[in-house]
Amino acid sequence: METAVTVFLTILALYFGVGLLFGLYFMFLGAAKIDSIMADSKKKVRLLLFPGVVATWPFLLIRLFKPNTAD
Amino acid sequence: MGLDYKLVLWNKHKKAYDKIIAFGMVMYLVLFIVLTLIFNPETIAETMIIRAFGSLAVIMLHIILAIGPLSRLNPQFLPILYNRRHLGVSMFLAALIHGVFAIIHFHTLGNVNPIYSVFTSNMDYGSLTNFPFQVLGFLALLILFFMASTSHDFFLKNLSPQVWKGLHMLVYIAYALILLHVFLGAFQQETSIFTIGIVVLGFIVITSLHLVAAFKESKVDGFKGEKDTGGWLKVCDMHEIPEDRAKIFTVGKKRVAIFKYDGKLSAIHNVCKHQGGPLGEGKIVDGCITCPWHGYQYLPHNGQSPPPFTEKVATYELRLDNDIIYINPIGLEEGTAVEPILC
Ligand code: HEM
Ligand code: HEM
Ligand code: FES
Repeated sequence: METAVTVFLTILALYFGVGLLFGLYFMFLGAAKIDSIMADSKKKVRLLLFPGVVATWPFLLIRLFKPNTAD
Repeated sequence: MGLDYKLVLWNKHKKAYDKIIAFGMVMYLVLFIVLTLIFNPETIAETMIIRAFGSLAVIMLHIILAIGPLSRLNPQFLPILYNRRHLGVSMFLAALIHGVFAIIHFHTLGNVNPIYSVFTSNMDYGSLTNFPFQVLGFLALLILFFMASTSHDFFLKNLSPQVWKGLHMLVYIAYALILLHVFLGAFQQETSIFTIGIVVLGFIVITSLHLVAAFKESKVDGFKGEKDTGGWLKVCDMHEIPEDRAKIFTVGKKRVAIFKYDGKLSAIHNVCKHQGGPLGEGKIVDGCITCPWHGYQYLPHNGQSPPPFTEKVATYELRLDNDIIYINPIGLEEGTAVEPILC
């Protein structure tokens, strides 16, 4: 059981760790690439989005490579 | 729908509802603390905070889970539905305070990582009465974090509808985890009868509401109107539709919403272009049909979103005969203007 817990928590920590790094990149550069509205939005909006980007980074990463599906 | 993203899309109504939410939360916390001081004066402050915010979060979750079916049964609940996002985020914050205080109080004393300690301080995973119930709370909080953090319009637009909806449906797993968290926790803490009572009662109410709403929904799908000689379908008496609202009918396998507003009737396809929200469960706000899910708007007479937006839904022709509404089951092109009929 202890190994299972360690494995689970390690994966969780890695997921959020990568998310944090991706989040920084995405906030300053990536977001405006997939969503033109972002370029015109206030800086504070980016701060508000940050937790969500950390949480859902794999989906946003896919969007970066396959742009223009939502507009 | 905005041309740039705002921090929060507030308008007069939303501000009023947010004040009600904040006021309600504060009142509950004050009441909880006063009652605890009267009946359980030896309770320490940390325990009080943990219990006050935990029970507050659970109560708010029940309200959130009840709004959907409630507003399907009675449109008067719609304003709360439109405001669900802020309720969800506030509920997450309450749960977060509960979780963080519990972790600080029970898991920061040793030298192990506090989160690791939540999972391993009690290893009795095979037991029912001594199950590490805090793990269940942690997993629920994780799900709630995903939902609350992606609540901004940006994510609605940039996560695909399937992903967003999938994330959202996780709330039912979170709900199950929280029920277990409270019940299994009750074996180990002196959880009050009050909390247990609320959760049991809440579960019964939520389940029945969902069942009743689902039953009502199935009646809409079973609707078979008579056809007149021209092939038009007889739907209902116009008085059955409340002002500024709609009734939903299945017309030629499609759901159609017939709206009544300003002494006029108009019919449009019930499915929102955004993520398929049920337009007929929304109401007319500022002259526009407003989707109950995320508030996309459409003009009733032509099914088009007001400029600068470009969404369009199909429209339908109506006729009124002795107050009985008839509809042409063959829908028109999306965005076709139809002269509303007067009633
Ligand atoms: C932790 C926070 C949240 C919780 C617990 C929660 C809970 C729920 C539940 C239980 C439903 C299904 C109810 C029904 O339709 O009968 C639902 C649907 C919905 N919620 Fe939330 N919600 C949360 C956050 C949000 C946020 C932040 C938004 C705003 C973007 C939102 C918007 C919606 C919408 C549009 C639906 C209908 C869509 C669908 O059923 O797929 N919710 N929510
Ligand atoms: C990291 C996550 C969590 C941890 C560590 C945690 C921990 C705890 C602990 C230690 C208790 C017992 C408190 C006591 O009676 O002295 C408790 C009770 C409770 N928890 Fe949590 N919890 C977490 C998440 C949640 C969440 C997400 C919810 C609901 C939204 C929740 C709702 C409750 C409720 C209603 C009680 C019963 C309160 C009472 O005794 O009156 N918890 N939790
Ligand atoms: S489904 Fe999102 S606004 Fe209608």
